[in-house]
Amino acid sequence: MARPCLLLNPTSRHGRAARGTADRTTPMAQLQFRQALRAAMTEEMERDENVFLIGEEVAEYNGAYKVSEGMLDKFGPKRIIDTPISEAAFSGLAVGSACMGLRPIVEFMSWSFTWVCIDQIVNNAANVRYMSGGQYKVPVVFRGGNGIAHQLGATHSHRMESVYARIPGLIVVHPSTPADAKGLLKSSIRCDDPVIFLESEKMLNELGEVPDDADYTVPIGVANVERQGKDVTLVSYGRALQRVVRPAVKALADDHGIDVELIDLRTLRPMDTKTCIESIKKTNRCVIVDEDWGYCGMGSGILQKLQKPAFDYLDAPIEYVHSDEIPVPFNHYLEEAMMPSVDRIVSAVKEVCYR
Amino acid sequence: MPAEITMPQLSDTMTEGTVVKWLKKEGDKVRAGEVIAEVETDKANMEMEAFEAGTLAVIAVPEGGKAAVGAAIAILATGSEKVEDVKKSGSTTAKAAASAPAGNAVARPEASNQQAAPKAAMAAASAGQERVPQPAESGGAVATHEAASRSEIHEPDGVGHGATRGPAHAVPPLPHGNGNGNGNGSRVFASPLARRVAADKGVDLAEVKGTGPNGRVVQADVLSYQPTAKQAGGATEEKTTGKPAAKSEATAPARVGTGEKQVIPLTKMRQTIAARLQQSKQQIPHFYETVDVDVEALSELRERVNKQLEKEKVRLSIGDFIAKAVATALVQHPAVNAHYDGKNNQIIRYGDVHLGMAVALPDGLIVPVLRHINQMGLKEIRQRSAELVDKARGQKLKGDEMSGATFTVSNLGTFGVKEFAAIVNPPEVGILAIAAAEPRAVVRNGQIVARTIMSITLSADHRAVDGAVAADFLRTLKNLLEEPGLMLV
Repeated sequence: MARPCLLLNPTSRHGRAARGTADRTTPMAQLQFRQALRAAMTEEMERDENVFLIGEEVAEYNGAYKVSEGMLDKFGPKRIIDTPISEAAFSGLAVGSACMGLRPIVEFMSWSFTWVCIDQIVNNAANVRYMSGGQYKVPVVFRGGNGIAHQLGATHSHRMESVYARIPGLIVVHPSTPADAKGLLKSSIRCDDPVIFLESEKMLNELGEVPDDADYTVPIGVANVERQGKDVTLVSYGRALQRVVRPAVKALADDHGIDVELIDLRTLRPMDTKTCIESIKKTNRCVIVDEDWGYCGMGSGILQKLQKPAFDYLDAPIEYVHSDEIPVPFNHYLEEAMMPSVDRIVSAVKEVCYR
Repeated sequence: MPAEITMPQLSDTMTEGTVVKWLKKEGDKVRAGEVIAEVETDKANMEMEAFEAGTLAVIAVPEGGKAAVGAAIAILATGSEKVEDVKKSGSTTAKAAASAPAGNAVARPEASNQQAAPKAAMAAASAGQERVPQPAESGGAVATHEAASRSEIHEPDGVGHGATRGPAHAVPPLPHGNGNGNGNGSRVFASPLARRVAADKGVDLAEVKGTGPNGRVVQADVLSYQPTAKQAGGATEEKTTGKPAAKSEATAPARVGTGEKQVIPLTKMRQTIAARLQQSKQQIPHFYETVDVDVEALSELRERVNKQLEKEKVRLSIGDFIAKAVATALVQHPAVNAHYDGKNNQIIRYGDVHLGMAVALPDGLIVPVLRHINQMGLKEIRQRSAELVDKARGQKLKGDEMSGATFTVSNLGTFGVKEFAAIVNPPEVGILAIAAAEPRAVVRNGQIVARTIMSITLSADHRAVDGAVAADFLRTLKNLLEEPGLMLV
């Protein structure tokens, strides 16, 4: 029973293509990020009856951010399951059902709420396969909005990638385009290990070309060299790419004549170190950009993976552009000010290029 | 906006300079293009011009003070701002900047503040591990001094070094060059890539001027350090000769055998000579070929010609004839008139001859270059070389007058040297050592006769020149000198 949403109405233009009914013949469709996610879940649920979706408001309300719009109508209440506000409980339920052979997709309204279910995700999901000597697999996907969105305040704005990416046993994925969102989510649902699938509320409206193909997947653990360049390697992922990195790369090329090689990591664990190193061998310089806090932030981990193998190829220390280390302010301007900006990226890139 | 006046790089190898003289004082008006100071580089004294008009607000480096290339040595008030304000805001930075890099920076006393001392000790300690030990007499003191000044550069930007912030955190322009150009025992900052590239190329990092933050040597510095053969003007440097022996004779103290020990600190020029020639001898596979030239015909010709030129007050030297003959022979043997460019796996042969002539100075030697000598007559060679030698002795040579030679001649004939071999000055592939012309007993038609003979020795880089090629060149040269008329052909 789809209800129209006053704030967000993603189905209006592209909804049909997302379900893959009317436009089957078109190989690519313009989809929003949220439609790409929905397409991935829908196709995988059609393909495998063990896949189900669980979370707050995913069913009757069509998803807090309308990612699961229409899915209750299509798959019914046994596979699209509404829960009370009880993250620890339903994430635990998902881990248990995954151990028993189902393939749950857990939607968190915000990854900031998962501090209460870290026990289920870290102590259980990440460890069960190892501790059972492989007798149990945990094919669960935890997905939802990650990081700073728009004036949600400090408690809703946590960047959780560095929290989960450090846990062996978990796979952490953070797409930056609708096409990757679909392909990576499909790979995640098919994966036999627990996947932390990070999105951003602010990216859900982003449009992009998405292959309309049930067999289309993007492999986990492979970075995308989004732009070839010779002067500096810029490593980023997720929303930072869309919000500031791509504009910064353009500004660097247009205004400063600096040719950036841009790498979208796509998967944060396991990280595609090789692609980054190959690029640094070419450019001799590296800047990492994310929206995390710097100390023990995701970029610190990336930096640690790169600096030793790249050491002899570096002409400058690797720079890491990150958010200010303060609780995320509610005020719009302060929120913007704490995050990496085009200017900060440009100056970091110039610094490593000695320009 | 106040403008910084920085130590200019007046020659390819210059890493720091000394302000010999300020021609303006604080408060003086300055026009753009006006000469405001005299600066001593590693090779010569040069005049420094102002690029902008304004009022000289702050002199950060006093006369006699040193500063690294790129370091601020003065601040110019160029706009409507008050000189006093500029003085206040600018002087500290400029002084710190100027005093930091130069080892024995004179600058002003407040530069060495309380912070420096403990760090100096630390830095000096680490310097000891890092680099070649210094002679005990002077090394320790220099290293400490250097370290003390270096540690001051670090501090100001310690906070913002994350550089992840916007322009607000932009690090103030640090003095470039960490003084490591002279390799006097302090730690060399270099990027890992620069270290690797330097190791591959056999470049001593201590000799390379770093242009990165804190004077860090980066890849580009190492790559540009190797004298690039591509631009003729890019080549540089002290040429070689066997001269040190002769020179020390010339400058030997008047009192001999006093028993006193003298410690002579290396001048910039001496350091450059040492580094370059060591590099040349270590990296270039030298070989040597000597021929004896009968110069009687040449001497006769010279006497006759000089007689004719008496009224013009021109007197050609044997050296002028040799230069002419060498130029003529080089045109016929371009394989010897060449640069070896190992970096790009190529040899560059030059169509024109730019002849370097080693000139001994009281402390060192320098090689002025006679450009396009192959297009000159003897009179022009005489005039131009006299002019260059004068300039060289007065340390007034300009950059392009001492770089870009395609071949070099070193003449020790006047010292009575019988025979010697000079060291090739890269990227050139050959150098000719001219010894004294002297009467020798030689065999002519089975008879022993006395003739005036001069031994000339070609040192060549075997990577570019083979033995037979060198011999062929020498044969041509010998013919030209023994039959000087051939130079007209």
